[in-house]
Amino acid sequence: MNCRGLIQYFEIIYFPIEKMACLIFLFHLIIGFSTVYAAGPARSPEAGVAEEQQIVEKSADDALPNKPAAREEPSDEYGNVTEEQVVSGEGPHVADPLEPWNRAIYHFNDKVYFWALKPVATGYKYVLPEGIRGLFSNFYKNIRAPIRILNNFLQGRPGYAGIELAKLLINSTIGVGGLRDCATECFNIKGRDADFGQTLGKYGIGHGFYFVWPFLGPSSARDSVGWGGDWALKPTTYLGGSEWINPVNIGIYAHEAVNTTSFHIGDYETLKGAAIDPYVAMRDAYIQYRAKALKQ
Amino acid sequence: MKKRIYKIILLMILILPLNVLAGIPLDTVKTNVNSVIEVMRDPKLKGEAGKKVKEQRIVAAADKLFDFVELSKRTLGLNWNKFTPEQRREFVELYKTILKDAYVEKITAYTDEQVNFTKEVPLSETTIEVQSVIMTKSGPVPIFYRVIKKDNAWKVYDVVIEGVSLISNYRTQFREILGNNPPETLLETLRKKVDKK
Repeated sequence: MNCRGLIQYFEIIYFPIEKMACLIFLFHLIIGFSTVYAAGPARSPEAGVAEEQQIVEKSADDALPNKPAAREEPSDEYGNVTEEQVVSGEGPHVADPLEPWNRAIYHFNDKVYFWALKPVATGYKYVLPEGIRGLFSNFYKNIRAPIRILNNFLQGRPGYAGIELAKLLINSTIGVGGLRDCATECFNIKGRDADFGQTLGKYGIGHGFYFVWPFLGPSSARDSVGWGGDWALKPTTYLGGSEWINPVNIGIYAHEAVNTTSFHIGDYETLKGAAIDPYVAMRDAYIQYRAKALKQ
Repeated sequence: MKKRIYKIILLMILILPLNVLAGIPLDTVKTNVNSVIEVMRDPKLKGEAGKKVKEQRIVAAADKLFDFVELSKRTLGLNWNKFTPEQRREFVELYKTILKDAYVEKITAYTDEQVNFTKEVPLSETTIEVQSVIMTKSGPVPIFYRVIKKDNAWKVYDVVIEGVSLISNYRTQFREILGNNPPETLLETLRKKVDKK
């Protein structure tokens, strides 16, 4: 075969068959190698790094009883971890200086769920058909539109602020006061969820510390401030009088919570059942969930 | 003018096979996830008699879908190195049992809903994220499967539900125990958890 390098092919005006074959050959060579490389021994170079780290760790806690056993590591897949394996499982962290308080409130909320929220939501689900509960979901989502509009704007996403405004107008009119999410269903308009805690995060403010509120559940110093901002932007807050928190707006909030829970009975049970330490599992899930919201 | 055409042709040829390769992990995960769901939905496997057969089939399907050793190593991170070979094996078995119960429960909670596999995002040379979304009544739930290529097969080593990574979540929990205790304490905790089921 007459093969003089790839660059040549850009200069050829005619494309003779033999050169075409050469190109394909070269090309398959490249692809072939990259595939083999990708599937192949990608571990070995990283293993050294992991071992170094292991040695550092060992010297840190010499008291470990099985120190000699770990030395004779198996050569199969049960061998020591690579750096990539160490890094891939590392998630975001949060300080938890108030852990005793938080754990106590977690247990309190656990009881609130099993003794009050779950039975009420189950009965509610039994009485009201799914379609009607769905209308309420849409309504409460639509009511929160001002939060999304303002925060998208504050986060430097005026485009999404506009889309959320359009959704609010469409759903409040054609969607009959927000009972139907017509913007999504009829026009396939996709908005972007945004809240005040997220905005603070985008501005570089960290969680501070983890905090569990009675009844309301997992939060943090930053997100608690965020909730305050969100509460102020919710139109239903201003029903029932001028007070910040009054029986009417709490009642509306409670109904929203029951309505939402009616779609999620069993979710908390799954998390709790799968966890080794449900409190830590919940805290980590919350922090990861919020980290994802920040990335969007 | 012609030169440009060749460049375009070359580019197209270069891109083409990559697209062909890209479809494999998604299809693998899709097939294996669906086979787990199928077993769960099978009306013939109801009642006490069917329970055992069902259990076995789920284990078989889960083994095809997940790489439990990879999953265990990524969960424990550097702590894995502190375990003896026997402890490592026992850990994988216990963790597998716990995950199987948890994960199967989670995905079968949505048995009536539609699962859409949307796209693949490469994470590294050997790992890819297969993204799926479950359309539930109260909105879409994104579930991402992180897969690794081993012996020409794609296997799941992490599941990310609504941004929450399974291996990170368990790593945080295990770290609390392993911070002040030897691996045996964690194994004992896991044994108790498995026995309770």
